[in-house]
Amino acid sequence: MSPGTERRLYWTIAIASPLAILALWYVGTAHGFATPVILPSPGTVIGAFVDILRNGYSGGSFLSHLWASVQRILVAYSVAVVLGIVLGLLRGRYRLVDAVFLVPAEVLRPIPPLGIIPLLILWFGIGELSKMLVIFLSVFLIVMLNTQAGVRSVRPDSIRAALSLGASPFQVFRYVIFPSALPHIMTGLRIGIGTGLTILVAAELLGGDRGLGFIILDASNFFRTKDVFVGIVLIGLLGLACDRGLQWISRRLVHWDGKP
Amino acid sequence: MHRYGSPVPILTANRLCFRYQDQPVLSDASFSLEAGEFVCLLGPSGCGKTTLLNLIAGFLMPSDGELAFEGRPITGPGPDRAVVFQSGALFDWMTVEENIAFNLTCRKRPLAERREMGTRMARLVGLQGFERHYPYQLSGGMKQRVGVARVLAAGPRIMLMDEPFAAVDVQTRETLQEELLRIHAATGCTIVFVTHSIEEAVFLADRILVLPSQKGTDWKEHRVDLPAPRWAAENRLHPSFVAMRETIYRELRKGLADVPGH
Repeated sequence: MSPGTERRLYWTIAIASPLAILALWYVGTAHGFATPVILPSPGTVIGAFVDILRNGYSGGSFLSHLWASVQRILVAYSVAVVLGIVLGLLRGRYRLVDAVFLVPAEVLRPIPPLGIIPLLILWFGIGELSKMLVIFLSVFLIVMLNTQAGVRSVRPDSIRAALSLGASPFQVFRYVIFPSALPHIMTGLRIGIGTGLTILVAAELLGGDRGLGFIILDASNFFRTKDVFVGIVLIGLLGLACDRGLQWISRRLVHWDGKP
Repeated sequence: MHRYGSPVPILTANRLCFRYQDQPVLSDASFSLEAGEFVCLLGPSGCGKTTLLNLIAGFLMPSDGELAFEGRPITGPGPDRAVVFQSGALFDWMTVEENIAFNLTCRKRPLAERREMGTRMARLVGLQGFERHYPYQLSGGMKQRVGVARVLAAGPRIMLMDEPFAAVDVQTRETLQEELLRIHAATGCTIVFVTHSIEEAVFLADRILVLPSQKGTDWKEHRVDLPAPRWAAENRLHPSFVAMRETIYRELRKGLADVPGH
């Protein structure tokens, strides 16, 4: 099979597979295998989406719900990424910095973030801070760990070469250690956005009156399953867009990765 | 061609020792290098020749004895003793010209100057037209050319080379050897070249230091006498070349024969 043919086949299947699921869903609901409360038809869900787009949901416009979610993840994720990269670089490079964070980070890491939410609510209430903190915490740990692994993967010869060519310790960091760690860092960012979105929805299920997670919870309380689906699909698409975006950036930023 | 008469050594080692976890890796090395000399460090694996190179580079510190560069003890790595690595150790995220101009980047030289250096050095090592390529777009031999250009751009007093051509194919290796000799003649740079290949050492060096394969045996030294220009491929067939290769081969085999089990 020529590379062109294989590529075309790959994309044909990649597009056909979700269409097949959609078709199965359509046929199933059209023949009344499930009541709309259990499984609304695709058409009903699209109708519900258009309705939310036009008239909003529960007193808030569609954009206000979307923006509430995006804002939470944007703030928490950005802070987590910056801190995670900085601390990961330092932990990977300096053993004593690693010693400071080793036990706290390792104790915190296996705790499911949802287990920490009640504590955060107790301390900070059910406002924005608690939601952002729980997202921040899980993304931060992921990014820090991946960055640290990236620093550890730096080839010793690269560092020696830089020193031998006259680089200062800071220049070694900037020109050698950081770019060497970049492929791992980008992996951390991609895993981090996925986890971040998961935690976002979970955090929004706990309270508040804006956000995609809120739509899901509120709609399910009133058996408006079509609106539940709207929320679920939107979060899925948001995650897909973020991941593809990061992958696109990653391919251009770390163009040398995976090449001999 | 070279100024063997120059009385001031650029580098001196006096009873130099290096131990790793109490095991002697290098014992009692005493020698000196003259400015402009091309010296090969030759010996079997594990004889400490790379360790000696790393001591000169400043990556390692002597356990005992003295190692002085231009009269002062070596305290760390620096561009006056820049290294070409066997692995290349190129910066994959930088273009060829950025790799070459790395020392200038560290010295915060302006972009125009770095570009100019990149172009000039790329031409010197036969890589004109590849300035904007990335290392992963180059062959093994071309990568080593970048490694050499990157070191030359740093303006070293000694260029240290750690088996730089060991991983490339024979034809490429011979071309690289010949070009290295041209560069040596053109720049007058002192070169310390580590190799385990007798042929390579005899073809390249003005002087060969043969490291002892085990402690207790002696260092040997050979001065190579081949006609100029040294980069002439015919030198590989010259009677002096053949004779010296045999001498060193016998010497090394005798050293090996003393080891139990060989």
